[in-house]
Amino acid sequence: MITTISIEHALPRVFVSEKIPASDVWQTSLTLKRAERYLIEAASGGGKSSLCAYIFGARTDYEGRILFNQTDVAGFSIEKWQEIRRRHIAYLPQELSLFPELTAWENIQLKNRLTSHVPDSRIEEWMEMIGIAARRDYPCGRMSIGQQQRVAIIRSICQPFDFILLDEPVSHLDEENNRIAARMISEEANRQGAAIVSTSVGNPLLLADPIRLSL
Amino acid sequence: MSFISRLLRKNISPARIAGFILSNFIGLAIVLGGLIFYLDARSIWDSEDSFIRSDYLVINKKVTSEHTLKGASSFSEEEFNEILNQPWVRKAAPFTAAAYRVRASLNQGGRGMSTAMFFESIPDEYVDVPKSQWSWREGSDEVPLIISKDYLTLYNFGFASAAGLPQMSEGLMSGIPLSITISDEEGNNAIRLNGRVAGYSNRLNTILVPQNFMDWSNRILKENANPSDNSNSSNNSNPSDISNPSPSPARIIIDVNSPGDVAINDFLSAHNYEVAGDKTAAAASFLLKLVVGIVLAIGGVITVLSLFILMLSVSLLMEKNRDKLHSLLMLGYPLGSVGAPYCRIVISASVGAGLLALVASALLRHAYLEPLRGLGAGTGSFWPVIILDIILTAHIILFNILAVRKKVKASWRISR
Repeated sequence: MITTISIEHALPRVFVSEKIPASDVWQTSLTLKRAERYLIEAASGGGKSSLCAYIFGARTDYEGRILFNQTDVAGFSIEKWQEIRRRHIAYLPQELSLFPELTAWENIQLKNRLTSHVPDSRIEEWMEMIGIAARRDYPCGRMSIGQQQRVAIIRSICQPFDFILLDEPVSHLDEENNRIAARMISEEANRQGAAIVSTSVGNPLLLADPIRLSL
Repeated sequence: MSFISRLLRKNISPARIAGFILSNFIGLAIVLGGLIFYLDARSIWDSEDSFIRSDYLVINKKVTSEHTLKGASSFSEEEFNEILNQPWVRKAAPFTAAAYRVRASLNQGGRGMSTAMFFESIPDEYVDVPKSQWSWREGSDEVPLIISKDYLTLYNFGFASAAGLPQMSEGLMSGIPLSITISDEEGNNAIRLNGRVAGYSNRLNTILVPQNFMDWSNRILKENANPSDNSNSSNNSNPSDISNPSPSPARIIIDVNSPGDVAINDFLSAHNYEVAGDKTAAAASFLLKLVVGIVLAIGGVITVLSLFILMLSVSLLMEKNRDKLHSLLMLGYPLGSVGAPYCRIVISASVGAGLLALVASALLRHAYLEPLRGLGAGTGSFWPVIILDIILTAHIILFNILAVRKKVKASWRISR
């Protein structure tokens, strides 16, 4: 179990030679704790996606250190990262990374069959709740961005996690769907005792009383 | 089919995979066909004469009427040394001839025959018979012999039918005790021995006994004949020494580097020397090895090229699907299961090509086996071909799986 994620004096390498405004994350010490809610806000280009990719082990182009339970992630093997991605950290990337040739259902099952985390009936309930049940067997490539975003949200919670990283998860959703998504994610995070880390450039996930951090 | 397979098999080029299967099949079929042909064909030259390796030559001087008048078609010490110094000679040794009389008699259910004979010997290292079959200890009265196959033929088709004696097979002949009596030039000091035929040779026109028996018998009969001459002969007991007390050697056995070398023929004809026995066997065996070697090399090159074709096509396929591979790894899929669809392609294509090549080599063999049997070939085992096929296919699979693993790892982190 990962109980804390510490970001110590981290800075994307592209910012190293630049003068950056004061930040709650970069070039300081920040510890994210399990069971908390975080909302990271910044203007476009502030490095939100980079931060998510660093924490998720997808990129390493940063100065400073990132620690899981006080252990520097720089020494993790590929196999260790894959296990973390299956059991400890869920991630919804901004670009969604859905497979356009697979249907909504198949895209979700691609994750759920790997983790065997929730029963099919639960996934169907979620699809119903967020209004994409009718698009269950549609190839994702033929869906609107908003619909794709909802598929990706369901896929991201089909796994056990201690932290869920959501990179602008509701940028294409209306307020109604935003609330539903926030409720679904929060319920699943509560059930697992996990933390939610969501980023936003102006349309934040509507979490109840999140800790606000600015980049 | 799982979602992963459906995703990752996209962009597969059936033409490229077929190209691999075809080239791998051709390469393997040439290698396997060459090998099985070699294994079957070599018995034409090798199997009947396992006593003397095919790269040994036995040479003698051509007998001319001059020799009949003057005697001695034997090699002098200078001539022997000249042979030893030829670049194609690995080693050489003279034949030692018996300097005494030999009589052999055969007793077959009351009817017997008796004949005058002779013995020769060559150092034991030139005789390719297990030590246990080709040894004689002083005091033992059983002497192993290797006799020319021609002698058995002469007996069976010449003497036996004329004299009304039964014909004998090699096996039967080997089972019949041969009484041998050796005595000095005057017929005195006779020693009785039992001969045991250890084998028949196509390539040695002689009756061969172990070298130590020859040394012993030459010495003992000389001692008995000239008791005063003792000290002289015992100093010269080195069997391969040209200054052996027995007459100068009439024949020499040579271990040559490559029996097909033209330099050998040139040298022999320039000196009026003859190669004894089946002269073509050594050259044919050498040519067979050479041709099979070339065929195997060509097949090997094609096989290696096909390995690269497969590597390239899988690599290209994975490159096209790189974003998908990356996305799957981001979802937490283990490296092994992401690479699995490609490994399955590699395995099924390689195993398919391997099986086709095996079938092709079996068909090839079926086609040539009848005519080859007519030339006197035995049937070798098919197992070496199956084993080689498995080894080569396993290597192709192994190299490709390693390449797939490397490629999956490279897609894990798309660096920016």
